[in-house]
Amino acid sequence: MTRRLYIPQDTTARAVGADRLARAWEKERGVEIVRTSSRGAFYLEPLVETDGPQGRIGWPNVTAQGLPKILRGEGGTPISDIPFLAKQTRAIFANAGVTRPLSLEDYKTHGGFAGLEAALRLAPEKIVEELSISKLRGRGGAAFPVGRKWQTALETHADQKYVVANADEGDAGTYCDRMVMEGEPFRLIEGMLIAAYAIGATKGYIYCRYEYPAAAAMLEAAIGILTAAGYMGPKAAVPFDVEVFVGAGSYVCGEETALLQSLEGKRGMVQPKPPYPAVSGLYGKPTLVSNVLTFATVPAILARGAAWHASLGTEHSKGTIALQIGGRVKQPGLAEVPFGLSLEEAIEQFGGGMATGARFKAVQVGGPLGSLFTKAGLKTRICYDEFARAGAILGHGGIVVFDQETDMLALARHFMAFTADESCGACTPCRVGSVRAREVLDGFVQGRGRPGDLDLLADLGETMKQTSLCALGQRAPYPVLTAIEHFRKEFR
Amino acid sequence: MSAVAQILSRPDLPDRADRDAPNILKTLLAIQSEVGHVPPASVPEIAAALGVTDAEVAGVLSFYPDLRTSAPGRHVVRVCQGESCVANHCGRVLKEFEKKLGVSLGETTRDGRFTLEKVYCAGNCAAAPTVMIGEDVHGRVTPEKVGTLLKDCR
Repeated sequence: MTRRLYIPQDTTARAVGADRLARAWEKERGVEIVRTSSRGAFYLEPLVETDGPQGRIGWPNVTAQGLPKILRGEGGTPISDIPFLAKQTRAIFANAGVTRPLSLEDYKTHGGFAGLEAALRLAPEKIVEELSISKLRGRGGAAFPVGRKWQTALETHADQKYVVANADEGDAGTYCDRMVMEGEPFRLIEGMLIAAYAIGATKGYIYCRYEYPAAAAMLEAAIGILTAAGYMGPKAAVPFDVEVFVGAGSYVCGEETALLQSLEGKRGMVQPKPPYPAVSGLYGKPTLVSNVLTFATVPAILARGAAWHASLGTEHSKGTIALQIGGRVKQPGLAEVPFGLSLEEAIEQFGGGMATGARFKAVQVGGPLGSLFTKAGLKTRICYDEFARAGAILGHGGIVVFDQETDMLALARHFMAFTADESCGACTPCRVGSVRAREVLDGFVQGRGRPGDLDLLADLGETMKQTSLCALGQRAPYPVLTAIEHFRKEFR
Repeated sequence: MSAVAQILSRPDLPDRADRDAPNILKTLLAIQSEVGHVPPASVPEIAAALGVTDAEVAGVLSFYPDLRTSAPGRHVVRVCQGESCVANHCGRVLKEFEKKLGVSLGETTRDGRFTLEKVYCAGNCAAAPTVMIGEDVHGRVTPEKVGTLLKDCR
């Protein structure tokens, strides 16, 4: 009897040995290896699964010597019994760890293209209305109402419109877009096809960051498969072509106007808005730019109805959020949950608390521009409005927990150095302010901080917040100023 | 014909599919993927082939951190400096690489085998600290594992 072994081919699974297992076992007699996406329970990777009578059985943290045990059926855990996964509400990541990323058959058996089919039965205006009712907000960080953006792109008349997926997932601590692109690329493209049909675009781009070669390769392959199967191309139900464009390592290119400049092959300089890209974007044409996760959410909304999406979450934050919990927690990984649980619940229930030997010091939410929270802030609920009230952002859903060994001054310096490195230079507050702030922080690091330097940082930070052109300069002071606010004693 | 000239004569470059202006970044990335870097001396040649100014090409070349202007070592080792890696004390991993290779961040070993760089987030945050060697991503890297990682680069 041939035993089927499911081994993820996600980058993180491979980074901790999944390929080694697949290579070591591929010639074993009676073993069939199936490469799937990853469930996102990365602390268990490499997680090898087999078919059980009631669903999959998993073997966590497997080494090449673990095969005999798996074949004898010893020590496995039913996947449905793993609390980290059982407590989640998986919608966008429902098929993570289950399907083969490039199997169209797997995708269709697990609900693929139900959203596109539903969309094609509706008039474009009606699709936009559905998105508005769903209350979906952009998942990249800016949280702009998606329905309104599509409405603008639909209403702007032009001979050519574009749909662009922002796959420049630059926020450190986040990888959910990478998981979509590597694990279920068809879902992203289905969302883009629905967008193309709704606004009347015939050409699309996926702007993928340089650091994600596996994701770019997977997207290229997926586009080839969908074109061959008639879902894409000039003669498809939605005549639409998508091209993968690989960037060259600039964080600011995750900002939509800079991204479009880069897509045109120019320096990735942020442009003043308006005009918004939905009116005048790529090559001056109406362009719908959204994050990968946003597009990946659209098929589910069309397939299951806007009311389903609007029934999840809190009053102003509807649907699910893909939390990427990492840093010094016991169980780093992806948790898709409805908005509304507290930071503490996220860290405890999914992160599993602190890693062995680590004590909680602070947590940063929302990437390198996100605010720091201490224990006192852990009751904050994960939703747009409570975070806004706390002067914080959810960003792209990254949660990074720092332990007692973290030097907050060094960390603050690290944040500001990052902005100084990545500033595009289009506006003075960010270009000059970040360098000046780094310089002041360097002074503290070298033991020559002066009285008044902290006030200078606060003043500089306020100027950057108020006058910078984009979120990079506007948000860069927050991690630094919250570090000073909570750990003032370390800055001297 | 030089390697750069050969790439510039490819039918898909300059990419002018649906626009008047050529795509400079795409052209530079194509050159880098074949040659390994974009020689600054070839800027005028690229500009002439694309029909743009030298300044435009040089401007794009200097903007993007991942565009190289000199040849890297045979193996490019990139230690991730993203927040999750920082939280997991990736500084210790970086120090170990510096010690073992005898170079600082941004430098290439004298034998040309290794270039040591940082990457700002490899998206492998749940298995931090992360090190990329070429396109291969390695997770849960401790200072103790650095020697083996380097030995495996042949």
